[in-house]
Amino acid sequence: MIKVTPDKLQPGMRLAKPVMNKVGMALLGEGTELTETWIARIQDMELEGAIYVEGRQEMEVPLDEMLAALERRFQSAEGNTRMDLIKRAAERHIGKLYE
Amino acid sequence: MSEVIESRILRHRIENIGSLPTVPDTLKKLARIMEKQNVSLTEIASFVQSDPALTFRILKMVNSAVYGFPGRIASVSHAIMLLGLNVVKGLLLGVSVFELMQRAMTGLYEHSMGCAAAARIIAQKKGLREPEECYVAGLLHDIGKVVMALEFTKAYEGALAFSETEHIPIMQAERKFFADNHAVLGGVLSEKWRFPKKLTEAILWHHEPPSAVLFPLETAIVHLADILTKARGLGFSGDQIVPIVDDAAFDRLELSEEDIVNVFQELEGSIEATQEVLQQ
Repeated sequence: MIKVTPDKLQPGMRLAKPVMNKVGMALLGEGTELTETWIARIQDMELEGAIYVEGRQEMEVPLDEMLAALERRFQSAEGNTRMDLIKRAAERHIGKLYE
Repeated sequence: MSEVIESRILRHRIENIGSLPTVPDTLKKLARIMEKQNVSLTEIASFVQSDPALTFRILKMVNSAVYGFPGRIASVSHAIMLLGLNVVKGLLLGVSVFELMQRAMTGLYEHSMGCAAAARIIAQKKGLREPEECYVAGLLHDIGKVVMALEFTKAYEGALAFSETEHIPIMQAERKFFADNHAVLGGVLSEKWRFPKKLTEAILWHHEPPSAVLFPLETAIVHLADILTKARGLGFSGDQIVPIVDDAAFDRLELSEEDIVNVFQELEGSIEATQEVLQQ
């Protein structure tokens, strides 16, 4: 899923999440393929927030930095079996975000 | 060494939160309504509807993907019917303390929203009937920090610095500066606002879950949700390191490594939804 601002929308993109108006009512459903007409309407609506389309988002922080930060956060917990389990789960999860 | 701020003084500030200059008017008004005994659905709904900004935010929140009803709740009364009065009270408070939290500590709101979502996810996994209650407990678990950081800014900055240099949890660092920790003060506030015992216990004992006698399960959920949010590095709660999980609380929830990976995954989805809610 990629987060884009309304001005960056391109025809052919597919919505990964519904487009909502200001109070959160759905205007266009998930899975809708965007046409020029839809894009123009979305741009006219002064929506707040971003539009989510299908695709994969580039992660802002490199994986090794994310894992190094995780190590630092768990530095006082070494040797605690339950904390080790939580840390392993976090590592696995973070790793998956970069696959 | 600086003096420890006495319990009496801390509790006095909490008791008088309605007249603190740092607290915005909406929150004061809301707090007054919540302190009333047997506040009715109509009273809450009409109060919220008198404030367009508040109405807007609460509807945006309940319609976000964080909840189970995206895009389907059109009014405050409808939200109360679906979510229950206590949950709506908690959410109202949650959205009203947003600015206050941002001012008190950068990242505290993101941490609170993350913890709320994680608590809800765990509650659902455990089959609790009202996972939203855990969401609210997660959202408000650090409310004590808001009062401490806003009313005793210097002392709280001291505690934050102490926690960082000594590599100890903020909860422990608070002891050097405050007679009561943030969880205790949050519990006092929760009682003052007549939140149900379940919520008060979860807030009061989120760092010491074995002390929760009435609602050990909900308290354990908020305790673990807090730790998982810190483990994932969402927002900032004053802790540079992840506090050690309580053995009994962790074992009570019977979650495997796989289950926790799942919680993190679901949490990821709600982070994006949270960011949308925050963009006002």
